[in-house]
Amino acid sequence: MLQTLNRPALEQETLRVSALHALVYCPRLFYLEEVEELYTQDAAVFAGRRLHAELAKANDEDWDELTLESPELGLRGKVDALRTRDGQIIPYEHKRGRCYRGNNRQPQAWESDRIQILAYALLIEAVLGVPVSEGRIRYHADNVLVHVPLNAEGRQAVHNAIHQARQLRQSPQRPPVTDNERLCVRCSLAPVCLPEESRLAHNPDYPALRLFPRDDDREVLHILEAGTYVGKTGEQLKISRQNQPDEKFPARQIGQIVLHSFSQISTQAMHFCADQQIGLHFISGGGRYIGSFDTRQGSIQRRIQQYKALSNPEVCLNLAKKLVACRGQSQRKYLMRGQRGMAEIPPPLTAAIDQMQRLLKQVDLAPTIDSLLGLEGNLAACYFGALSHLLGEDTPPELRFTGRNRRPPHDRFNTLLGFGYALLLKDVINAILVVGLEPALGFYHQPRTQAPPLALDLMEIFRVPLVDMPIVASINRQQWDVDADFEVHKTHIWLSDSGKRKFIELYEKRKQETWKHPATNYSLTYRRILELEVRLLEKEWSGEAGLFGQLVLR
Amino acid sequence: MSEHKNWYLICYDIREPKRWRKAYKLLKGYGDTLQYSIIRCRLTMRDREKLRWELEKILEPEDSLLIVGLCNSCLERICLCNRPEAWSIQDTGFRIL
Ligand code: SF4
Repeated sequence: MLQTLNRPALEQETLRVSALHALVYCPRLFYLEEVEELYTQDAAVFAGRRLHAELAKANDEDWDELTLESPELGLRGKVDALRTRDGQIIPYEHKRGRCYRGNNRQPQAWESDRIQILAYALLIEAVLGVPVSEGRIRYHADNVLVHVPLNAEGRQAVHNAIHQARQLRQSPQRPPVTDNERLCVRCSLAPVCLPEESRLAHNPDYPALRLFPRDDDREVLHILEAGTYVGKTGEQLKISRQNQPDEKFPARQIGQIVLHSFSQISTQAMHFCADQQIGLHFISGGGRYIGSFDTRQGSIQRRIQQYKALSNPEVCLNLAKKLVACRGQSQRKYLMRGQRGMAEIPPPLTAAIDQMQRLLKQVDLAPTIDSLLGLEGNLAACYFGALSHLLGEDTPPELRFTGRNRRPPHDRFNTLLGFGYALLLKDVINAILVVGLEPALGFYHQPRTQAPPLALDLMEIFRVPLVDMPIVASINRQQWDVDADFEVHKTHIWLSDSGKRKFIELYEKRKQETWKHPATNYSLTYRRILELEVRLLEKEWSGEAGLFGQLVLR
Repeated sequence: MSEHKNWYLICYDIREPKRWRKAYKLLKGYGDTLQYSIIRCRLTMRDREKLRWELEKILEPEDSLLIVGLCNSCLERICLCNRPEAWSIQDTGFRIL
């Protein structure tokens, strides 16, 4: 399985000329695009395309767009424009930006652009069998035309680049981030590459300029009413509810659709969601996470690295320790926080806090995953045993909490926890899918029931801040109606529609609050932190370890 | 730091019904119609450029298109000078239906 790393087929495959452009710009960019197959399109990419669309319309001159491939040379590509000047064939490239200016202010091509146009020139020679003496690049922002001669040095430079590209394609190792930070500012893959975080991982004092991922502030649509129909019309999503006029939403404003209970969604709408990268998640009427529509297959290379790392027991044990320590410490800190402002601190609360301290000391020494599971169980027992002391005195008895029970929950507090964890699970899975990791391969939890292990692993980090804390706070604010917000059955208790509505609001609002990330020292919304944490986990096994699992409550 | 977004008002005059429908459909995927042929969208730079490119593929030289970016004080003034429903904003990040 892991042999696929040395994909021999790739050797035969020609390189896109634009990949050479990326290589000269930054070898890591080349690697992320060509080997890990990650592409993102930023504003500049679309602006460039529009320039080409406009140029194509202004066809006052001969306009030839040619797709060429030469296996001998090892290149393929689409030439923007070929023109004949005085009997000479000359390839042209159009760039939106400005040219490079050296010391003497002479306009010059950027090195990556230079290699690109030279590669096109070589490609034309090889395929069409005509000699090419130069290429030209027009920089539209400062309206400069740069001539790039195809001489012996230029030919050699292209061949060198091709050679380097082939070697990198065979390498299992992602190249380091570039030293030239200015390149990253304009790099379309920065949200995936996370150059700032990589620099931070190597040097904790590194002053990060900005951090990724950017917040995806598209809306999350929760479809609560059973029998609702989700369809697509044009570029919009259409939601039809019983006895209500249809509602339409511009697709680009929606980031996730969560279908609670039994609603319908058309196949067309599902295709559309896949196309627009809208996450689609299903939660049962009883508040259980069912699954997600996963179409965002991560690059196989990225997953192979994950398999390699996570089939190593030592790597798993180390990551699991970070995880257990992270959750345990947050639980303990939360109990300590609860003590503040109490007139009289209940002795069981103090006892739990002390006991947890002792247990936490053992986490780092745990020899096996099994022993960690034992420790985690003890930590959780202490924590949940003491959690009820954080509830105010006027909490109605129905909302009191005596201990964790689930599948199905027997009391209201556990119902709230269960529903909260289901919502959290869908967000963690959403983040895992966006990042392109394999949710089924985790390092701590064993494959069980519906939830994929990696998602259960990552969830540990967020249970306290995103679910436990808002629940306790909402109970203390007396937000719950013990009758109207719950449905009491013989064997279990579920949230009623009004209860779910309240909870979703509570949870989604919480996700928009910010938290100062202890490792990066940046204030980020929880929404972003969810994805960031998955990316930091991925970095644990790709040479930039150290930032994962440090999200501990203060 | 959420990705920076701005409001835009997009007005257009397209000479041929087929192109008009295409552009209209596309624009509805980005924002809400305020009036016939006037759409408002809240876009990141990336989305704005993507939209401009997608529109460029549809439009012909005889069509016209106006994209007006609005700053915060523009927005305030719009709200100030108009009836309240002229520019209502729902910005909670989630919806429950
Ligand atoms: S963000 Fe910087 S280091 Fe990463 S690929 Fe782009 S240029 Fe290279």
